[in-house]
Amino acid sequence: MELTTFVRGIISLLVVLGFAPLFAGLVNKLKAIFTGRLGAPVLQPYSDLKRLFRKETINANSSSFISVISPTINLVAVVIAAAMLPIGFERPLISFEGDIILFAYILGLARFFQILAAMDIGSSFEGMGASREAAFAVFAEPIFFFTLGSIAFISGLTSIYEIYHSIRLDNVTYIVFIIVCSISVFILAVTECSRMPVDDPKTHLELTMIHEVMILDNSGVDLFLYQYSSHIKLFIYAILETSFFYPFGIRSYTVAIVIFVVVITALSISLAIVETITSRFKMKSIPHYLLFATAIGILNLLIYTFTV
Amino acid sequence: MVFIQSCSHSIIQLMIGNFSVLASLGYKLIKNIMQNVLSILFCLSLFYLSVTSRVKAYVTVLQFQGVLLTVLLVFPFIGHFSIYALILPATLFFVKVILIPKYIKKIILDLDIKRTIEPTIQQITFLLIIIFSMTIIFIISNVLSKSTDIETIPFASGFTAIAVGIFVIIYRKKLIVHVAGFLVLENGIFLFGTAVASELPMMIEIGVLLDVFVVVFLMGIAINKISSTLSGFDVTALGRLKD
Repeated sequence: MELTTFVRGIISLLVVLGFAPLFAGLVNKLKAIFTGRLGAPVLQPYSDLKRLFRKETINANSSSFISVISPTINLVAVVIAAAMLPIGFERPLISFEGDIILFAYILGLARFFQILAAMDIGSSFEGMGASREAAFAVFAEPIFFFTLGSIAFISGLTSIYEIYHSIRLDNVTYIVFIIVCSISVFILAVTECSRMPVDDPKTHLELTMIHEVMILDNSGVDLFLYQYSSHIKLFIYAILETSFFYPFGIRSYTVAIVIFVVVITALSISLAIVETITSRFKMKSIPHYLLFATAIGILNLLIYTFTV
Repeated sequence: MVFIQSCSHSIIQLMIGNFSVLASLGYKLIKNIMQNVLSILFCLSLFYLSVTSRVKAYVTVLQFQGVLLTVLLVFPFIGHFSIYALILPATLFFVKVILIPKYIKKIILDLDIKRTIEPTIQQITFLLIIIFSMTIIFIISNVLSKSTDIETIPFASGFTAIAVGIFVIIYRKKLIVHVAGFLVLENGIFLFGTAVASELPMMIEIGVLLDVFVVVFLMGIAINKISSTLSGFDVTALGRLKD
């Protein structure tokens, strides 16, 4: 790897790490505006993270070393996943044949440790949240593989960077394809980041919640690590969505920056709209929602296999 | 300022590039793409139909499909515009997007039908059945498209809609949902028709539309009459009828 490529990869990673809380703040602000409130400032997540970072960490008496290592592993896994994403036209820091599998499973590892830590504390609340998280993760995984996997299947490539580079907007079937893909990636993002139709990030003390209940007993730096990694995770899915829209035929930085900003803003607006107009689904209808996205992925595969 | 200038310059270049690409592809290909896009949206609406559990959502899906079919019919005439060419899309729009949904909504209101669809099997099984049948249909239509001159995606989507319509009729209890299933089936036949022959004679199409409306009308009257005897309008109750 050349030095300039390395430096650019580092810069891309820093963009992800730096702007992730901003994206979450933007979504929250837009959501507040749509519901007629003033809302917290856009930079509020940074202040929250700063506040948490300065607090003391307290672990439950019943918890073991899993609770201690889990937040760090969670953040590290998510950062590694972020380092595999192509931003603009740059080769990401980590990129090799088959990294699409690593990408899925490194996020899986993060989730696994979070579930383990939730059960480690020994509270029945958290155990319930962990079981739900695991159950819905089972339904969310096929969405990823059918969406990105179908592009991988078509192009015959297995590295995320190369898969995205095989998308050419002048090949018209891809336009159809991208529309369908972006719907299923959106549903995936909503599920994995526990946003509104699947999980309500606002409810902290109800039995219906999934993700927030798992970090109920964490405090201080541990909570900081969890929250920061969840911000990054949301931004990772936003970038997955954005990358569909780069015109890879034209390699211009200005176009890349404009498209990045426009798509991210559009995505935050659509997330906010979805969160405003929908309420949380019943637990038993969440698998339907996720299977719906999987069906879209299968449709994708069918369309492409049988038309080209 | 320089940055903004260079941005706008590159975006304009990009747009011109894309348009020139589209123009060079030719009119027929664009029509083909539009047909594919609309058929895929049609398939997405079928998926939505199979996971939703509200009667109102069925009506919305029917309206959406009506809009899709209208656009599908309007599109071939953009190249050579004539006022007669717009009669069929306009009629289709009027019947499928305004008249029938309004009538179904009226029945729902009049008879105070409950908002859930009451499936006989689990929604998730239903969706799996549909995915499975869709896969088979795509494979079959791919095989067919090699020997005959059909468009795979619209053909397969139409075929899937027919299958979904039949499944909706089989696996749902409410009569009003059966009507919706029948209409989905009919939309499927319509899409199927556009895939097989690009333009059917107009009189036939309008005749079909009239037919569909009459059938829905009759079903509405039938549901109305049944409701005076059986309060549930649930098809399982019909099995208990004796003469």
